[in-house]
Amino acid sequence: MEYIALGTGMLVILAGLWAIMTRKNLIRIIIGFSLFDTGIHLVLVAISYVKGGTAPILDSTVCIQDAAQRIVDPVPQALVLTAIVIGLGVTALMLAFAMKMHKEKGTLDIRSFKDLKW
Amino acid sequence: MISPIHIITIGLGVAFALGFVNKKAKNFSATIMLVAIGLMGAISVAWLTALLQGAETVQIFTAGFKPPYSINLMMGIHEAFLTTLINVAGLLGGLYLLQSLKNAGNHAIMVFLVFIMGLNVIIMTRDAFNLFVFMEVVSIATAGLIILTETGKSIQAGFKYMLATGIIAGILLLGIIFAYYFSGTLNIDSLAEANITTLKGGSVAVLMILVSIILELKPFPANGWALDVYEASNPGISAMLSAASATALYFVLFKVLAIANENWYHILTVAGMLTFIGSNLLGIKQNKARRLLGYSSVGQMGLLMAILGLKPILGDKLEFIAATILVSHYLAKAGLFWLAGIVENDNIKNWSALRRKPILLVLFGTFLFVLIGFPPFPSFYGKWELIMQLSSNQHYYVLALILLGSFLEGIYLFRWLGYAIKMDFETLPELNINWNKIIPPVLFGVLVYVAGYFTSALVPELSALNYIPLLFIAGIYFIDSLPAYIKNTVAIIGMSIYGYQILPPLYENDMLRFIFAAIFIGGGILTLTAGYAYKGKRSGFYPVALLMYAGLAYIIQATNTLEFFFGWELMTAGSYFLIIRGKKSMPHGLSYMLFSIAGAYAILAGFGLSFAGTGTYNLSSLAGISSNITIIFSLLAIGFMTKTASLGLHIWLPGAHAEAESDVSPMVSAILLKAGVFGLLLLIINMGHNTETAQIGYILGWLGALTALVGNLAAAFQEDAKRLLAYSSIAQLGYILFALAMMSHLGLLTAMYYSINHFLYKAILFLTIGAVVMRVGTHMMYKMGGLIKNMPLAFIAVLIGIIALSGVPPLSGFGGKWLLYNAILAKGWYLQGAMVLFSGIIAFLYLFKLIYSVFLGQMKDNLRHVKDISIWFAIPVYILIIGIMIISAKPEWVLQPLGDMISQWYPNAALAWNGGLATGPYGYWNGNGIMITVGIMFVSLATWLWMMSRKAVQVKQFNIVYSAEAPQRPETTHISYNIYAGYNKALGWIVAPKITAFWDTMTEWIHSLAQYVRQLYSGNGQLYAIYVLAYIVVVYFTMIF
Repeated sequence: MEYIALGTGMLVILAGLWAIMTRKNLIRIIIGFSLFDTGIHLVLVAISYVKGGTAPILDSTVCIQDAAQRIVDPVPQALVLTAIVIGLGVTALMLAFAMKMHKEKGTLDIRSFKDLKW
Repeated sequence: MISPIHIITIGLGVAFALGFVNKKAKNFSATIMLVAIGLMGAISVAWLTALLQGAETVQIFTAGFKPPYSINLMMGIHEAFLTTLINVAGLLGGLYLLQSLKNAGNHAIMVFLVFIMGLNVIIMTRDAFNLFVFMEVVSIATAGLIILTETGKSIQAGFKYMLATGIIAGILLLGIIFAYYFSGTLNIDSLAEANITTLKGGSVAVLMILVSIILELKPFPANGWALDVYEASNPGISAMLSAASATALYFVLFKVLAIANENWYHILTVAGMLTFIGSNLLGIKQNKARRLLGYSSVGQMGLLMAILGLKPILGDKLEFIAATILVSHYLAKAGLFWLAGIVENDNIKNWSALRRKPILLVLFGTFLFVLIGFPPFPSFYGKWELIMQLSSNQHYYVLALILLGSFLEGIYLFRWLGYAIKMDFETLPELNINWNKIIPPVLFGVLVYVAGYFTSALVPELSALNYIPLLFIAGIYFIDSLPAYIKNTVAIIGMSIYGYQILPPLYENDMLRFIFAAIFIGGGILTLTAGYAYKGKRSGFYPVALLMYAGLAYIIQATNTLEFFFGWELMTAGSYFLIIRGKKSMPHGLSYMLFSIAGAYAILAGFGLSFAGTGTYNLSSLAGISSNITIIFSLLAIGFMTKTASLGLHIWLPGAHAEAESDVSPMVSAILLKAGVFGLLLLIINMGHNTETAQIGYILGWLGALTALVGNLAAAFQEDAKRLLAYSSIAQLGYILFALAMMSHLGLLTAMYYSINHFLYKAILFLTIGAVVMRVGTHMMYKMGGLIKNMPLAFIAVLIGIIALSGVPPLSGFGGKWLLYNAILAKGWYLQGAMVLFSGIIAFLYLFKLIYSVFLGQMKDNLRHVKDISIWFAIPVYILIIGIMIISAKPEWVLQPLGDMISQWYPNAALAWNGGLATGPYGYWNGNGIMITVGIMFVSLATWLWMMSRKAVQVKQFNIVYSAEAPQRPETTHISYNIYAGYNKALGWIVAPKITAFWDTMTEWIHSLAQYVRQLYSGNGQLYAIYVLAYIVVVYFTMIF
């Protein structure tokens, strides 16, 4: 059961990479990139999962003494928040670039942006 | 002491605060940004000073917890040093970009500040996730900065950059989270202790972390995106990426390598070497300046990566090597990109624009020499130490590849330098000069010399080095704006004082070295005297001429291999700049430099192997080598033979010597070539006693004889007087090589005597012919003729020069021949000896042609009123003639002490001296007696001729009859074009330019290979992303198998 999230995450990563490698449209590539990021986020959360664990919040149901056994690892959950924010920033910036590139050449086909080479 | 965390608080705080500043107050924002970076830098510098004085490394814990429960930063000597570098680059880079940043607005200023702050954090942090976050911060800031100057190309480059680094960052994050999963910590030190590579999944985590950091360092071929960024960004930004970002990321690799196992060292070495070779190869085909700098930058990072991979071998030397090369690259590459922004035009041929501001040209040259690793820059010491360590650990392949990569880099860097110095333009391209763009590269240029000085202080083998000549040269550079005659006087005085200091002790203790030192310094003073003939400033001439002489003097005085190599490289640099001064010397300067670099690397490798065998740098330890004798001897001999221009390695010489300025030709011919002879001599007296080297000697003997033959024959077919003399030098050096290769008493003595003679008569001939060329304005002999009337001084000088050279009695050349034939008979090399004899006869052909075509025959109309050669050329020439007379009449003054000295190593078959009478195994010779006999004959004949001539009828030039007709244009009866057509038909095939063709083919192959390989970089960003992924997969499979 705990591997479903992990496996899904991996699949999403691969789907994202596939899109990055094969799609020619800049927007689709950026979507692939988003997928790649989301997959990584899924894997992050999945890794922290402890079988039968509950949310890492200390309240009436979880007391400090047995917290370590009963809650899932909170560190990756904290990390994933940061990662999501960064991912958002990167995606936004990429879209901005895509927009400017479209403005320049009137196309979104990545093959037409080969002014720099060799 | 201020806590290092304030580097971050200042950076972040000011960046956020700038958001509240009025958007129009751009000057204010920019100033605040520079102040903030300055403060950050001040903190780094304060820590660096404290740590150097023995303060302890500190750890900064955030949030009140210790790791692994919190993020921690570290401030040790590495961090303090590197953050200092980053902040200095940030400050100067910010200054450089002032206008661009202000044009782009407050946001750009904020982003730049965040970029610098982020680099500081990735250096200081010890937390893996924190590292990821700030690498992303830097990466997003970089993407923003790439389009600081927005062009279609910079936007494309930015997108490719985001795509590639996005994937890399994703893989890094996955690696970090898996590493956390297996170890329960995010602290890099705890991760290293957890040793997760021993776990099956753990090694995949380590793979993902390390491979992504390697990819951030732009390994070949997964680095197309980085090249595009270097090319398309504002050069001020490229400077930051190449200097600051690369430095920080390199330290990340250094830091994170702790979590890896030893397999990774191999991967780093392979990845690094592949990058170093690959990008330098492709650089050869590149003619866009910024992209070329990108290739060079990527290549240097590859070298540094390989150095990190060699950690197990380099041990405690690693940090010295890595730091020197890293700092050199940091200073040079930032400086070069900054210059690229000043030149603006991206075609490397248009860098001649730098000639508009000579200080920039000097900086450009400095930075290129830093990259190649010339003394006195830090990279020189780093490269030296690297080669020494590699060879003592028998890593010969890596050693060879590093030298190959450096050579490839030399090809494009020196071609570029040549364009900048010499490319012809009617009007030079424009420069974009602003004070804030000049200051940063100038400061870095100064820093690189300072860094070099401090690095040399860390090298014990150089502690005895005398820096006064170098300071003197720097002083000459600073008075470059004065007229030439003042600088000439200063230079001559300086050299005289130096000679006065070093020559007498050498005369007492070491006759061999004395002879060479006398040639170098005495010859230097004499050739400089000719410099008074030049009017104006002669900008840049004196520093480089003195640099060559200083290098030559260092070679003589060297007691260990490092000092020798130091001098050798200085001499190469100085002579390169001398040679390239000639009007048409651009290609010749390049080929001289490339042969020199290749030769220097052969010498370096040879010294490396000898260090491996003996464990010491001492020059005399060459004698004690017991293993690898053949290879060490061959490498060193090849290295020295690039300077003596032996057959096969000679193709640079004719052009370089012929196209050089009139007083430079004798410097680089009569004097410079002796450096190679000195090297060979050292080699033979130390290593000549082995059976292995005797076999090589046999080959060298044939090579010398062939060189003599081909050189003389080629000289006979020249129409250009200076080229004729250049080929003659090749042949003369062939005799010397032949004599040295005998490895016998007489052989060495002959070589020494020939060296002295060649110095004397070649200096006379080159000075005189150079002076004639200055008067008549052409090198072509068939355009001269009959100059004996107008130039009696020149005629007499050339006459004496060719008598001495040809080896007829009574002048010193005869003594040389006598010694040579004795040596040949003693050695029993009859076949080679016959060849040498034959080529000696051919020499008469070109010597006759020289004097006949130029001075005899019919005068040309346009030369009817030329004056005799400049007095400033005549003075040194006639001093040298006196030298020839002395050494011809009193050879025992030199040969006797030399013979005694040579007997230390080769006592057999020495000459017996009785006054002026030398008795060898096959006869006797009295220089003085011959001089007197021939003198009497000459005087009596001359008297008789004079008596006869009183009856003769004076004939005017037009009063002649030719083939029974009176020619209307008598000068056409002076047949001097292609006068040896018949010989050319018969023997010309020997001198067909097959060797030149061979090297041309090599060059073409390298270029075609580069052209083929560089099609990897199709320009498609998606393809570059695929390369990144493929790189990961390949590394993964390498790890499995």
